[in-house]
Amino acid sequence: MTTILLIFGAGGFLAWSFKKDVTKTKDTLKNALVMMKEMLIEIVGIMAIIGWVLAIIPESYIRNLLGSANEFVSTLWGALIGTVTIIPAFIAFPLSKSLYTSGANLTAIAAFITTLTMVGFATFPIEKKYFKKKFSIVRNITAFFMAIIIAILMGVIL
Amino acid sequence: MIEKIKKYKFIIIAGLLIFTTPIYNPNAFFEALNITKGFFLEMLQIMPAIMIISALINQWVPREVIIKHFGDGSGIKGKIYSFIIGSFSAGPIYAAFPVTHSLLKKGASVANTVIIISSWAVIKIVMFMVESSFLGISFALTRYLLTIPAILVMSFFVSKIVSREEILDETEENYNPVLEKLPGMNCGACGSKNCEAFANDVQKGDKVLTDCVYINES
Repeated sequence: MTTILLIFGAGGFLAWSFKKDVTKTKDTLKNALVMMKEMLIEIVGIMAIIGWVLAIIPESYIRNLLGSANEFVSTLWGALIGTVTIIPAFIAFPLSKSLYTSGANLTAIAAFITTLTMVGFATFPIEKKYFKKKFSIVRNITAFFMAIIIAILMGVIL
Repeated sequence: MIEKIKKYKFIIIAGLLIFTTPIYNPNAFFEALNITKGFFLEMLQIMPAIMIISALINQWVPREVIIKHFGDGSGIKGKIYSFIIGSFSAGPIYAAFPVTHSLLKKGASVANTVIIISSWAVIKIVMFMVESSFLGISFALTRYLLTIPAILVMSFFVSKIVSREEILDETEENYNPVLEKLPGMNCGACGSKNCEAFANDVQKGDKVLTDCVYINES
């Protein structure tokens, strides 16, 4: 749904831009194309590596790590696994549910979901390209600790 | 050659990893291809629109507008706007980088940039519905309610440590006024790698404009 809105938004903005100034818009599109190409080169490889990692690691392995008897250790694992992977939501939530029903800790799952989205180890090279090293490192580290705090609080509340 | 390898390093590594997999685990090979295909399709849906919007923001949106609504003095309203933009956007976190970078360049504050990136990644209405259907509404709601203040803390923390200049200096030099005067031939006769590097050297005072052979001629 939001994807459709996004595409329509971009189309509308573009049409307006064309109406305003054709040559400027053409230049803008050229810029967009260059940006797109640069990003593609980077992201396709990263995605393929993650696809490979997800395929090669059996789910039972993740289950064991997140279901460890020690809640703190499993939370840390949850946060770490979430950090190094990007998993689309439609896989991540069913996976989390099956992990939970098969005995993973709630805090570990919360940490996993939060770092999964907020911390991007895999996307770090792209972030660095746009925002430089310092910003990317600081943002990701803070996000990681925040995710752990969120997870711990959730364990306390729920 | 080495630069080419560096540029394509992720693709090369991925190719090596994936295409050696059938030797020891044929199932994982097809699984890997499948997952990668899923990622790729998602990206193809979103990235062209994202890139066009980012480039159009660069081109058209006036600096003052961004500074007013997302700049350092934009206050609570700016933070609310940032949350709204982030959570209504589509796509994974890497889609947020080009757009937020354009906004930052146009005068958005570092704190608001962090808010947009984080809420882009975490706060999604559709995701919220999926999450509550799988893990229960109380789980999803609690996580969201905790995440919003967490994002505010993050944005404060990051903006205290990293300054705008530390993010932008190189990129802003791309819009070096000197560059506009240059022919853009990238001939290298001045001793710099290309016109961009030369423009930066002139800006720094290491070189003078007439070091450019084209300008010297005219």
